[in-house]
Amino acid sequence: MSKLVRLEIDGKPVEVPAGTLVINAAKTVGIEIPAFCYYDGLTLQGACRMCLVEVEKSPKLVTACTLAAAEGMVVRTQTPQVVQARKAMLEFLLTNHPLDCPVCDKGGECELQDLTFRYGLGESRFLETKVHVPEKQWSAVVYYDAPRCILCYRCVRICKEGMGVSALAVVSRAVDSEIAPNMGDHLYCDECGMCIDICPVGALTSQDYRYQTRPWEMKHVGTICTHCADGCTTTLGVYNNRVIRGNNHDRTGLNGEFLCVKGRYAHDFIAHSERLKCPLMRVDGKLVEVSWSQALAEVAARFGGIRSRGGKFGVIGSTRTTNEENWYLQKFAREGLGTGNIDHHRSGDVISLLSALKGRADALAATSDLYERKAALVIGSDLAQQHPLVAFQLRANWRHHESHIYTVTRGPVREDAYSRLRVRAEAGRELAAAKSLRQALQAEPELLILFGDCVRGAAVHELVEFGDSLGIPVRYICLVDYVNSRGAMDMGLTPGLLPGYQPAAAPGLDLAGMLAAADLDALWVVGANPLKNAALAAERAFVVVQDLFLTETAARADIVLPAACAYEKTGTVTNVCGEVQRLSRAVTTMGAKPDLEIFRSLAARMGLDLGEPETDRVYAEMRRQLPVPAAGEAARGVVASAGDTLFTSGTLGRYCGVLRNVREAPGGLYQ
Amino acid sequence: MPYNEPSPLEVKVLTRRFGLADSASLDTYLATGGYEALKKALGMTPGEIIEEVKLSNLRGRGGAGFPAGTKWGFVPRDSARPKYVVANGDEGEPGTCKDRLLMEYDPHQLIEGMAIAGLAVGAHAGYIYVRGEFRYIIRILERAVEEARGRGYLGGNILGSGFGFEVYVQSGAGSYECGEESALLESLEGRRGVPRIRPPFPAVSGAFQSPTVLNNIETYSAVPAIIREGGAAFAALGTPRNGGTRLFCLSGHLNKPGVYELPMGFNLLRMIHEVGGGIPGGKRLKAVIPGGSSCPVLKAEECDIAMDFDSLAKAKSMLGSGGVVVMDEDTCMVQAARRIMEFYAHESCGWCVPCREGTNWLRRLLRRFHAGEGSRSDIDLIGDVARNILGRTFCPLGDAAAMPTIAFVEKFRDEFEAHLEGRPCPFEGRRREVPAP
Amino acid sequence: MPASASDVLKSAAAIAKGMGITFKELMSPTITENYPDEPPKFQERYRGVHVLQRDENGLEKCVACFLCAAACPSNCIYIEAADNTDAVRFSGAERYAKVYNIDYNRCIFCGYCVEACPTDAITHGHGFEVAGYNTSTLIYRKEQMLVPLPPKP
Repeated sequence: MSKLVRLEIDGKPVEVPAGTLVINAAKTVGIEIPAFCYYDGLTLQGACRMCLVEVEKSPKLVTACTLAAAEGMVVRTQTPQVVQARKAMLEFLLTNHPLDCPVCDKGGECELQDLTFRYGLGESRFLETKVHVPEKQWSAVVYYDAPRCILCYRCVRICKEGMGVSALAVVSRAVDSEIAPNMGDHLYCDECGMCIDICPVGALTSQDYRYQTRPWEMKHVGTICTHCADGCTTTLGVYNNRVIRGNNHDRTGLNGEFLCVKGRYAHDFIAHSERLKCPLMRVDGKLVEVSWSQALAEVAARFGGIRSRGGKFGVIGSTRTTNEENWYLQKFAREGLGTGNIDHHRSGDVISLLSALKGRADALAATSDLYERKAALVIGSDLAQQHPLVAFQLRANWRHHESHIYTVTRGPVREDAYSRLRVRAEAGRELAAAKSLRQALQAEPELLILFGDCVRGAAVHELVEFGDSLGIPVRYICLVDYVNSRGAMDMGLTPGLLPGYQPAAAPGLDLAGMLAAADLDALWVVGANPLKNAALAAERAFVVVQDLFLTETAARADIVLPAACAYEKTGTVTNVCGEVQRLSRAVTTMGAKPDLEIFRSLAARMGLDLGEPETDRVYAEMRRQLPVPAAGEAARGVVASAGDTLFTSGTLGRYCGVLRNVREAPGGLYQ
Repeated sequence: MPYNEPSPLEVKVLTRRFGLADSASLDTYLATGGYEALKKALGMTPGEIIEEVKLSNLRGRGGAGFPAGTKWGFVPRDSARPKYVVANGDEGEPGTCKDRLLMEYDPHQLIEGMAIAGLAVGAHAGYIYVRGEFRYIIRILERAVEEARGRGYLGGNILGSGFGFEVYVQSGAGSYECGEESALLESLEGRRGVPRIRPPFPAVSGAFQSPTVLNNIETYSAVPAIIREGGAAFAALGTPRNGGTRLFCLSGHLNKPGVYELPMGFNLLRMIHEVGGGIPGGKRLKAVIPGGSSCPVLKAEECDIAMDFDSLAKAKSMLGSGGVVVMDEDTCMVQAARRIMEFYAHESCGWCVPCREGTNWLRRLLRRFHAGEGSRSDIDLIGDVARNILGRTFCPLGDAAAMPTIAFVEKFRDEFEAHLEGRPCPFEGRRREVPAP
Repeated sequence: MPASASDVLKSAAAIAKGMGITFKELMSPTITENYPDEPPKFQERYRGVHVLQRDENGLEKCVACFLCAAACPSNCIYIEAADNTDAVRFSGAERYAKVYNIDYNRCIFCGYCVEACPTDAITHGHGFEVAGYNTSTLIYRKEQMLVPLPPKP
């Protein structure tokens, strides 16, 4: 904790750590100093001049956003001179700003509108013609309307500093200054839309939200992004049961304002025309639409029959369904169907990590550690592509705290630009390469180790031994692919481990084993697509698939049940750091049902008693019964990341127009 | 640029080689006492050099008039980072044309001055940042640096003393804003020329985040004379708090416009009539801009004034960069204000709001006003907009645009009123105006 | 008791006075309107069924800013916005109202929408015959309220 200084703002005594900016010191006592170019966490600009305040002993007004609080400082923010200066700055800003608020997408949540309302003159003395430049489209996602731009440079900074992309810059001079993209007339970047979200006015607009509605007309639903495992909160703007936009302008959630292209735009799969809205049943070799009751009755009858004659079941769970659904599914499989053959697509070896740590809970990192730990070692992951939030937080940590980043990767990654040491390693040699950094790592006060699927099984134990041998506090993050990859393991969607990593009495078949078992009688696939790159050996097996789309697996199914996506249900998901977060229902798609509801209907039809299937009750039951993650046995089966990039997202990515339409897709940035 | 006929009233210290044949060559320089000061300085301690410069009362010639010795003293000698000496040759102020001559006719004097500054602050590299339009001067400077290096006046071991100093010539890209010291440093480092937040000041963190001495070309050019002749001798040439001579650039309605080296404190009226040869056609003096376009205009009756930093500050104007622009009775003051604002609206870097939007607004207003489409309320509006810019911009460019405008409106309100609606410019036809860009 | 002459005179005078008023009113112009046989007359500022205006180029003035919907105290305005394209242009600005419905089951003719409109696109007309046997007929669509395009010359 740095030294405290005392100052006075508008007569109120304020005590803040030395180095705090006056604009932030004022906030602590409820005094607002208006500003456009100041943005928490980005470099200082002093460009908009809105935050001018009077400081005793200073002949001129001073910008509160560049002034560090000092002992004995006397600041005044309400004097006639300050009030007049704010009016003058707003008058200047509005001289070339078109007053097309009724049309502008930002109208209603525009900072220029708000501050003009609060501090402005109300009338302009500018009678000359305004500078007009036509609107430009920079990419499939980003539009720029130069006249509306007030040149606060937030977009330039968030792109350069926050994202590490530097796709935007200022061109021209004086009143003709404008923001320009890196490739002349178009953008080549992450298409994350951070620039759009951070824009205080309507200069930057996004393709999906443009001219659709007004901010106050929407219902804003904060939920967890359904794509990667980082667990960002995305606030969905819903109008008319349609998701119009995603952003996180209110900085809720562990991601703050951050969202990548998926969290912000990849929600169009919800309303995709190929979305399944009616159960399908195979009749005479063809899938035909049937009613829910018909489909469920068929599944219950077939499952019941196979169970009673002691047939062989296989259950494949999802990395995108909720914890409650996963809990219920494994219970259904183990208690209801009496099988231990249950697995899912495992993309990181969390199981081995927990086993190697032997119950040391404090060695598991939280998302906040990414921003706070003094050093981090990244092994075998292109974070900027696969874990955008993790990359963003590590970058912010480096920018704000000068933390040390070490990378061990196969090829160049964006983290190279600011990593202290970087090592290239061939596939399979990552751990050895990481060990070569021993000397540098030992000198760090603490360390965070992030590893991808290249470190698995025994190698994880080796890595933990290496971490222990450094003699400094080390925390680990095992990188996994999808929104609830971690939760699927926690909830025991694994052949050898029950919920809470308790060893199962009789381990069943893993995913590959189920596909290879020629004597499988039934395969139940919930929200997964195992047959995309593999074949099902049991040709006569009865296959039931619950999914959003007619995937390769669903096309092989005997019964396909249309499922609701994560934006259409409630429940909890667990992110890559093990943080459990709650989903909120934003929209509903007629015909599709949440997986939990499908399980309940099936259980009822099969006469099974698996406990209350209502989401909150299941959650409560989970909380009651789930043991503290214990050291389980070593994992069996395949652990492999799908290697998704910023512009792919498993099955969902195939149905997201935005991800497919940007010119960077698929993942061309580093190829 | 050809050098004008010198005036007998001049005190030639910095310009003493002007007019000599091949004055830019090292041979001419050495034949006229060149690099004597550097040799002398190599035998002095850094503290002694800075003391000598302080003694000379040399004040920064770029416009602000900050004492050079004091500025050098701010450089932390114990800093672990390398230190740099940067010469500001981004001469862009309308009415000022002295640095160009100093670089063109006596480049070695500048190089010697920078090397001495390097000695004083412990720097081993110097940059001459030259305005982008001065292409031929860049060639002259590069040749001079080559020559000096060839004969051991620059390089790793200057004159066998063990002290190393290199000079690099860097071209600007044609922005007036890069004359502002922090914008110059940004541009020097290869980025867009916009000013930096201060503090930290360049003396602590300037070029490449290292301690940097940044002075005008003329300031460095005065250093060899100060070291050679002693600070006291240089100071004695001027007035008590304004040491030495300075180059005044006389332009406008004069019979003999040109660059003249005169002692600080020289009377402005004498400058116009005796040095500049008076006003052509026997016309009466109307106004003088005393130090380049950013300085508030002086009315004819205010012109009996000593040309030094303090006297002009008392008259609410500035000595600035020494660009004296003389305007006779036939000059339209609205046109003059408009012309100056055209410049600032074009040269504003666009970084901060009041300067970017304000200069453009003033330009539009003054254009309209001069075209006879103004109204009475516009006169106050012009002053108001300028006052809204004044003191609120990120860097001094906004003030430079606002101050002359305020002065024009205050001092020549009658001329603004004469332009009111329906009337043509009262000076129309009396002089062939330079067309607007 | 027989009436006195003065009583007779008084009565005659009263009748004359009364009939005088009748005859005077008979001569003066009528106020009563013969609605529905004749169209009713309205004051200029009568707040009737809304009219959506067009600009001088025949484009819709409405830019789908939703301010009318926001101002509406009975929440009877429903809008769906869409983007004008170069090929198909409905309004003068970037956005237009793809759907613009007013539910006259709920509208209270307060005029707030008209006041809120930044482009003077929505105004009150003089239509008042908004009665029906089916409430669904009272949801007016944009096409019903829009000023018809003048015939092409």
